Amino acid sequence: MATVVTTAPTRDSGLRQVLKSPRTARILFPFAVLALWYFIYYTIDSRIFPTPQKVLQFMWEEVTLTSGVRYSSVAANLYVQFAISIIRLTIGFFVALILGTVIGLAMGISKSVDAFFHDWVMAVLAMPALVWALFLGLALGFSHLGPILAVILAGLPFVIINVREGVRNTPKELFDMARAFDVPQNKITRHVLLPSLMPFFFAAIRYAYAIGWKGLIIAEVFASDRGMGWTIKFWYDAHRAHGVIGYALFFIIFALALEKLVFDPLAERAFKWRPKVDALEMAEGDFGAVTGEGFLLQESQVEDIVAIESMEGEARDG
Amino acid sequence: MSGPQRPLTLPDLLEDETQREDLATTLEHPAPRARSAEEERLLALQKRDTRRKWFWRIAGYVFFLGVWELASGRILNENLLPGPTRIIQTFPDLVESGRFLSSYAATLTRIGIGFGCAFVFGVLLGIFTQNKWIDGFFKDATTISLVSPGLIWALTGLVIWGFEPEGWIFAIFMTTFALVTVNVAEGIRALPKDLMDMSRAFGVTTWRRQRDIVVPFLAPFIFTALRFGFSVGWKVTVLTEVFSSNEGIGFEMRVASQLFRMDEFFTWALSFFIFTLILEKLVLQRYENKFFRWRQEVTV
Repeated sequence: MATVVTTAPTRDSGLRQVLKSPRTARILFPFAVLALWYFIYYTIDSRIFPTPQKVLQFMWEEVTLTSGVRYSSVAANLYVQFAISIIRLTIGFFVALILGTVIGLAMGISKSVDAFFHDWVMAVLAMPALVWALFLGLALGFSHLGPILAVILAGLPFVIINVREGVRNTPKELFDMARAFDVPQNKITRHVLLPSLMPFFFAAIRYAYAIGWKGLIIAEVFASDRGMGWTIKFWYDAHRAHGVIGYALFFIIFALALEKLVFDPLAERAFKWRPKVDALEMAEGDFGAVTGEGFLLQESQVEDIVAIESMEGEARDG
Repeated sequence: MSGPQRPLTLPDLLEDETQREDLATTLEHPAPRARSAEEERLLALQKRDTRRKWFWRIAGYVFFLGVWELASGRILNENLLPGPTRIIQTFPDLVESGRFLSSYAATLTRIGIGFGCAFVFGVLLGIFTQNKWIDGFFKDATTISLVSPGLIWALTGLVIWGFEPEGWIFAIFMTTFALVTVNVAEGIRALPKDLMDMSRAFGVTTWRRQRDIVVPFLAPFIFTALRFGFSVGWKVTVLTEVFSSNEGIGFEMRVASQLFRMDEFFTWALSFFIFTLILEKLVLQRYENKFFRWRQEVTV
């Protein structure tokens, strides 16, 4: 068997191996999108559909502040609009996090509290952000309060559900053992409850941020006169497709940067104490199923392990 | 996450029908005993728990509805935030006007088409993530679809295709397909490795392996994907209706809020909630139970 392992990878020549590697595929993807873009450009019957160059030029002008577009009565540009959105998001996010943790902990610990809140959390969860945006716009006017409340309402149910799930999933045996060995309460909290709550809390943060962002954008379209959501709507109302697509790309870049630069390192840090295989199980078991977005967690590690496993599989194949 | 798990009893473990009968006869010999005191106590506890749960649940309804009713007309203008009683009065009017059925039909058609495309593509892509090359190719696409707001897809699709169906199909597709893919890929990662290895060792073809091992194993994951995707797709569908439709729930909500008919607006929102509740509890869950009856335990 051992000999098969050593000969298996050398079956392919160097070039074929490069072409077959997943990384090549990943690099190929943007080019495929570009090709599709040109295909649509040449087949679509539209006078405003832009070429990629036009969108890139627009984005460049926005970034370097040379486009000369003044968005509203306030002299705003990309950076100002973006900063306004981020500040709103951050405030709403922290309020949702604190409020959600308190309610979630209470719901996890007491069944009565759970029964009290459960249906209403579900109701808020089921409401589309559009409902909040339209109502808050009418109720509060174009203030900062409307979009901030929209972030809270969008993010809160996810924090509550994740924290509650975390409390319910604390290992009972560990608690019992800690008590049997007379471990003081504050030590139990710090070493048993918090670490086991951590993955759920982290999922809550990540999800509340993502959902809050989505809710904020919609609220800014209907209930605000500034911010990123308002700006993309501005270009939509002006029927400038390059503006809409350009801003959509700004959104995508922002979201990707947030994932790669903030949440991934944060996840790595938060779960450093866990052995690697555990991290894999957690990424598969807890996050993916609960949040749907947690799959991004520690992808590299998952890949490593999968790679090892598939190598073993290949060895067995031979 | 984990479904209700019934502790396995001895008869469950015996697959053979005759064996089970044997066991039943031997077990029958000690006459059917009365409930022990311990069991009685547990039963009483359970009953008390259920009663307490219902008490708090009703208390929750009374509290939140009460706050809402009191806030209307006192904290916020009565026309801006109509109380629950007024919304219940508006409900029959809306149903009678006939707009109810036509709006739901329009929205459900949209979601059926848009999410249908996304679902088929998402499941196929999820299954194909077994191939590392395809996985790598679509990795960034799934990430982008997951992290970017539905609104940008709605606006992009509409500015490109206008009111043509491509516009909203694009928007619904881009927001939901990755949710399906991620859930299915989750299932792929949890595939029973020993079964796969064994089938490989015995020379089972790739196609049969997919049909007989992968797809049955993935069924619960596909169901989760369906539920997640539907709840998200629902919201983005309503959003596209705001911008590019003259019927449907999103359109009705927008009109109601623009005409300042807040009682109608909240009635639409309420109906929306009731509809999702019915769909989730009665249709999806029941269907799921039926679908997985052959399984001893459902692990999702």
